[in-house]
Amino acid sequence: MILHPTVIANLLAAYIAGGMVLYAVFYGVQILKHWDIQNGHELQLVLERRTYLISTLLSYVFGLQLLSLFLYIFTADNLTPLFVGAMCAAGTLNVDSFGYPTLVLKIFNFILAGLWLVLNYVDNQGYDYPLIKKKYLLLAFVAPVIIVETILESAYFLDMEADVITSCCGSLFSSERVTGLGSEIASLPARPMMWVFYSAMACTLLCGIFFYFNNLGGYLYALLSLLMFFISLVSIVSFISLYIYELPTHHCPFCIIMEEYNYIGYLLYILLFGAVVSGLGVGALIPFRQVESLQAMLSGFIRKLALASVILYAAFTTLVTYEIVTSSLVISYEVVY
Amino acid sequence: MIELMNVKKVFNAGNPSEFSALNSVNLNIAGNKVTVLKGPSGSGKTTLLSIVGCMSRPSAGRVKLNGREITSLPERFLTDIRRKTFGFIFQQPNLIKGISVLDNVMLPAYPLGEKRSQLKMKAMKGLAELNIADKSASKVEWLSGGEAQRASIVRALINDPYIIIADEPTAHLDTKLSYRFMEIIEKFKSEGKTVIITSHDPLVYESSIVDHVVKLRDGQIEGKQA
Repeated sequence: MILHPTVIANLLAAYIAGGMVLYAVFYGVQILKHWDIQNGHELQLVLERRTYLISTLLSYVFGLQLLSLFLYIFTADNLTPLFVGAMCAAGTLNVDSFGYPTLVLKIFNFILAGLWLVLNYVDNQGYDYPLIKKKYLLLAFVAPVIIVETILESAYFLDMEADVITSCCGSLFSSERVTGLGSEIASLPARPMMWVFYSAMACTLLCGIFFYFNNLGGYLYALLSLLMFFISLVSIVSFISLYIYELPTHHCPFCIIMEEYNYIGYLLYILLFGAVVSGLGVGALIPFRQVESLQAMLSGFIRKLALASVILYAAFTTLVTYEIVTSSLVISYEVVY
Repeated sequence: MIELMNVKKVFNAGNPSEFSALNSVNLNIAGNKVTVLKGPSGSGKTTLLSIVGCMSRPSAGRVKLNGREITSLPERFLTDIRRKTFGFIFQQPNLIKGISVLDNVMLPAYPLGEKRSQLKMKAMKGLAELNIADKSASKVEWLSGGEAQRASIVRALINDPYIIIADEPTAHLDTKLSYRFMEIIEKFKSEGKTVIITSHDPLVYESSIVDHVVKLRDGQIEGKQA
């Protein structure tokens, strides 16, 4: 293990989140088993009081979970000078076999935690805890994934040895390599991928705007926003990074968070993750529009979520377009890097 | 109007100092009437009143207000009900020292966002009705006991609640002021408000304006409602 302040911060955040989630899930299971709002028994009243504590606690824990993704990336980037061969977070994450699995789980948990926060917010607007069982059911699903993430993250940091020779991002995300997901994405042709990105984004934004004005097609928008999230991630590797680095062969999705590139990666990822969480929130909430205690606010809130998602995706696209337009790199039709 | 079903309240549950203040209380409180909760100290009057007024939650049981169950409501909804439905008059006036009578009276209405000019007019009208309009600019520490009590009554009415809750209101008043207080209660009744008072003062529970007397002892209702 490398004793570095950022490593300690990551581990502390992971253990706090893991511990709190375990505590919350213990009461969450009781709520799932015994909750009956019609009942005036002592246990029911205890659960009603307890859910305030649990949902407040989880709001902070899941808020921390959202931040922990960026802290994790920041840490990986920060530790780069300690490993031979590492040029950015991509190399640091490759120092042992737990780095990338932890990152994948963090991304997955970011989305789930965001959705839980959306459900919790809506549940708190109703006078009769309308989504209480749904949100604790989601918690019961999220908790094991967060615990696995905590274990993997611990293994990643505890297994870290300073004398490890790792791969640089140029190797991990190279279109010339034949194996690896990063290389496969990097080898996607830039021009066609650009068309895919802009066409899919146009469809997503139009669908979102249509839903905002007509209240129709919410599920489709949620699906498109999830699809757009993956297309955007692939696009970052495939062609967006090329324009930011102004290098036709450098596809790394991590170097863009470095100071040399004005930390633009953080902004891109924040916009992207915000957009997918609010977009998926639309689909998650639509089934509850008829709940009596939520009728007054829910439709309006779902539309606001859709609008937020559309704005975030539009801002992401604008930023990407700005980078492409102002970049010195020109990718011709004939040559595909 | 207010229905209590199997209401229990236990303090320090699970500790050696556990104390059961209310035991399975079932009670109906009628609207537009004056109800007095009568009983010795420690009988559970104030506990019951605080549960009815949404100031505390029972350990078990439910309370319905106009048919709507309120004990399960999340805190933000309870705050809203407390603010708009109940006016509280406590044993002590509980006025805030250092600010004027008028400011004290207007204070509970601030969260509702009413225009200050209208609020001031309403507060002054309330103070005039209880004959303390001339004290509106005075600091509360300059008031006599009776004036402070009346100021606290005007404060309880500032949001125009339809239920007035008074906890031992005459405990610190002399006989003359106690009679004056009951006259004010009679006025509330004539205006169609529901009044719930806890008291072990005969001047209160034997008053002709009282419609129901509920006797409490050891956290339980004694006999039938009078």
